[in-house]
This record gives sequence, C-alpha cells and structure tokens, in this order.
Amino acid sequence: MDVQRNDIVMERSSKLNYILIAGIVTCLLIATVFLAGCTSNSAQAPQATATPAPATPAAVATAAATPQPVTTTAAPAATPTAVAVVTTPKPTFTPSSQNVVAYTAASLTGVSPKLASDFAKMYPGHKVVFNLDGTQALKTQVENGAYADVFISASNSYTATLTKEGYFVDGTVKPLTSNYVIVILPASNPANIQSLADLAKPGVKIAMEDKTVPAGTATVAVIGNLAKSTYTQAWNNSVYGNVVTYETSEPAVATKVNLGEVDAGFVYESTYTAAPKGTYLAITIPKKDNYLQTYTVGTLKGSTSKGAASDFENFMLSAAGQQDLRDAGFRPISTS
Amino acid sequence: MIPDIPSSGKFKRFITYLGAGFLILAVTLYLALPIAALFFRITPDIFFSALSDPQVMSALWLSLFTSSLSLAIVVIVGTPFAYVHTRCTYPGKMLVDTLIDLPLVLPPAVAGVALLVLWGRVGILGRYFNMLGISIAFTTLAVIMAQIFVASPFYVRQAKSLFEQFDQSYEHVARTLGASPVRTFLTITLPLTASGLVSGAVMTFGRALGEFGATIMFAGNLPGVTQTMPLAVYVGMEGNLTIGLTISILLVLISFAIMIAVRYLAHREESHA
Repeated sequence: MDVQRNDIVMERSSKLNYILIAGIVTCLLIATVFLAGCTSNSAQAPQATATPAPATPAAVATAAATPQPVTTTAAPAATPTAVAVVTTPKPTFTPSSQNVVAYTAASLTGVSPKLASDFAKMYPGHKVVFNLDGTQALKTQVENGAYADVFISASNSYTATLTKEGYFVDGTVKPLTSNYVIVILPASNPANIQSLADLAKPGVKIAMEDKTVPAGTATVAVIGNLAKSTYTQAWNNSVYGNVVTYETSEPAVATKVNLGEVDAGFVYESTYTAAPKGTYLAITIPKKDNYLQTYTVGTLKGSTSKGAASDFENFMLSAAGQQDLRDAGFRPISTS
Repeated sequence: MIPDIPSSGKFKRFITYLGAGFLILAVTLYLALPIAALFFRITPDIFFSALSDPQVMSALWLSLFTSSLSLAIVVIVGTPFAYVHTRCTYPGKMLVDTLIDLPLVLPPAVAGVALLVLWGRVGILGRYFNMLGISIAFTTLAVIMAQIFVASPFYVRQAKSLFEQFDQSYEHVARTLGASPVRTFLTITLPLTASGLVSGAVMTFGRALGEFGATIMFAGNLPGVTQTMPLAVYVGMEGNLTIGLTISILLVLISFAIMIAVRYLAHREESHA
C-alpha cells in the first residue's frame, strides 16, 4: 500500500518536476533574450554612426543645388571604416543618422508634414520623424531618457531649463520663430462673443492650456496684461471662472473650439492663420498686451546622428524652413 | 517512508526549487519594484507637505466622490439588470452580452471620444440637452458618465456569472412557498451572492478611480470640477513632479486597500459556501 502510494506521489512529483523544469527553461530563455537585447542595444550606438557613410556623398551630390552647407553631415570618411567592423544586424527601431527624431512643440503639428517634405527635398535621403506634444511633456520625456536628436521648444523657460541641465549640444540652441496669442471662436459663435470683454459674460465656456504648457503660460500673461491695461480684476476673475478645461497641449484647445464644445479658446496666432478659412472666428489681442512666445531649436547631446540633426536645424533656420513657418502663421524672429 | 532518492534526483530537486524560487522572485520583483520606486523617489516630509496642496486635495475628493457615485449607479442599475439578463431569454441577448464586455477591450480614449460626439454640446444627443440648457461635457457629470462607461463591466460581469451559477432550486422553493419574484430575489438570491457582488463592486470602484483616457477626452481637465487623481498625476508629471508622485502614492495606497478588501471578501465567500 505504502509503496504504491509513494509510487503515485513519485510519479506526480516527477510530472511536476518536468513542468517546473520546462518553466525554468522558458524563464532562462526569456532572460537570455533580454540579455541579448541589451547587448545588441549597446552595440547599436557605434553601428548607428556607421550608417551615414554611404549616404553622405549622395546627400552632398543631390543637395548641391541648395545653398545650405551639407558638410555638417556626420561621420567623415575615417570613422565609418573604423566602426564598420561591427556586424550586428541593423535593428529597425534604431534611429539611424538618416532619420532625425525631432521632439517638437505641439503647436507645430499643422505645419509638420510640410516641414518634413521640404526637409527631405533639401537633404535627400534624410527623413524627419516628429514627436508632437506639449513642450512640457516632451521636456519630461527627454529628462527621463527619451531618445531625440532635435528639440523644438515653444518656451524659452523650458529651453533654459534643459540647457541648464546639460541636454543640448553647446551652441546649437537657436531662436527659431515666434508666435502671439489669439482668441478663437467656433465659426458659429454660439456665445455671440464680439470682443474680449464678452469673454467675461456669464455662461461663456472657455478652453485654455494648463499653465505648464507654454501656450498656457503665455495665456496667463496675456489675461493678466489685459486685466491691468484695459479691463478690470473682475474681468480677469470672470474669465477664469468661465474656463471649463485646462488642456495639456495647444492643439487640444483648438480641437475643443473646432468641435464647438467650447465658446472660445486661447491659442497661438499660427493655429488660426493655418486653419482653413471659415474654421474659426478670431479676436486679436493688442500687441502691447500680447505675449510673444519664442520657439527655439537645438540638438540634443544624446543624439547618435548629430550630423543629420544639424542638417535639420539648418533646414529649419533656412529660407525654406522659415517660409514654411511663415506660411503657417508663425512670425519670423527678426521682424517680430 | 520516503524512498531513497539518488543523488542525481536530489540535484534535480535542488535545481527545481531554485528555478521555482527564481520564477517567483522574478515575477514579484517585476511587479513590486516600480511601486517601491515611487516611495523611494519622495521623502515623507515632501509627501505630507504636498498632500496639503489644494490641487491634491481637490483631486482626491473629486475622485472619491465621482467614483463612489459611479459605483452606486452601477450597483443600483447593474444588479437588477444582470439578474433579469441571466434569467430571461430575449432576442439580441448575445449582442447585449457583447456590448457589456465591450468597454473592457475598448481603449478608454475611444470611449471618451465616443461619449463626446454623443453627449457633447454639438453631439448627436447633447445638442438637445444643450437646448434645454443642460450641458454634460466638461462637467463633473461627464466624469461620472465616463467612469460608469469604462468601469461598469467589472461589476456587471461578476453579477452575471454569480446569478448564472446560482443554484436556482433555492429560488424555485421560495417561489413554490408563495414568495414573489422580487421577494425571492431580495431575500434569497441577493444575500447568497452578496459577497461576490461586493468584490465585483470593489473592482469597479478601483477601475473608476483610475479612469483617465475617457475622462480627459470627455470631461476635460479643470481642477476641482473634472480633474480627478489620474489627471492630476498626468498634469503634475509635466509641471510639478512632487504632486504627481504624491497622488501616485495615494492611488497606490488606495489600490492596495481595494485589493485587500477583495481578498478578504473572496475569502469570506469561500468559507461561507
């Protein structure tokens, strides 16, 4: 009896053993995959710098017509041969030097496809991938280790913070463009808003950006200026009382106005200018009370393709890039 | 009693235990470390001073208020619904079954957009409410509606399966003894499934408390009115990290309390059965 029972127990436990061993093997396999992933990751860095080698001459040849100096493109002939020994297969997700990952203020969302295509025209073979979000969100991402080549900030103060924290390559941070704040209304103007004074009418629904969003900072400043110069503190309080949502990016405010879900929204001029005619009504804010938001562009130290990054920066500051921005309603730095 | 184990067997057993221990450790650490990291990133002093921040407090109270109300509505409507749904056969029952589970797989952001285009001021139904002077989007009501939409399946599914598994002979006996269907439900079915229902309710509360995507789309982000704790974490992360961390820790503590409650209730349910 006992022996028999033991046999059963043995059999059962051996079955359990097999399951457990299978589990361990799987576990080890997973661990190996992880380790392999990590090591190949670290091997990517030199690999990434190697890739531009064949492309650089092509870019120089085809982009010869453009006035931009293309010499900035990374990897002079010497480096690639040195690093070319690394034979790790190229993982598709690695940002190659052909690709510029541009963390870009959300207010450039509208103009971003045009910028991408014009950049590819000026530097054939290069491609820019935009990550568009509120500058405050992008800043947090970069501070927490997100990979980016170029950072376009819609706020001098965030640029300053990132500079102080040492994220930018020295000397690459340059003013890019600028923007004023404007009030937009749905085309149907449901609350019948005719002037800035009407924003304080009871029942008006206003959307603005959270104060952490650069456009929100600008809006707070504008409302403060208006209250001081033209309106009253009571106006100021009523306007804030009418705010129904503090959005986390500038385009999100425009969307809420576009949907007709709110009666008014504080956005950048460029959003109004770039929108198809008849999308919004707008109430301009006098220049003396307005807040000129300055955008900057800079290359990040962590970039593994600084050449392409600096090409992109050159493009953004070039006549073509500036023209795209002007067409989208941004104000060039010089004339503002 | 124990038969002699050859040394290779001993070795095998050792490896087995080692592997089992490694597995358990790996899973535990993977889940526990991020939570622990939250606590290491902040000192108690900063935590308590941030706790008195009006933004944190208003988010906390708003979250607790809206989640409780959502839960109450889900329980009050969901319990009889689940009962009727399991006891009756009607055309389209399969479709209703699928719809109940839909919010579980639907991304909450999609739920938010859907709610906005239905109930928003220019939405399909919302425009009529707007004519009556009732606005839904960007109000606390919108927060509650978003939470109900996203969290109700947790309760309704649980209630459904409890009623399905419930031994109907109890109900039949009560009915033959002259009790009305409502009385049978209230005095027989409900008490016997109560602990299971409560654990479903706790899960619903937890999900409602954590609701983010649908809320930010449909209800917006206004401190004190629609800025619930998860939204405050999101906004806090982009500005004042301390606030984000403080609220995250609060949410972790609440989640723990919820899980302990579920465990306790599940245990009680077992011992009663």
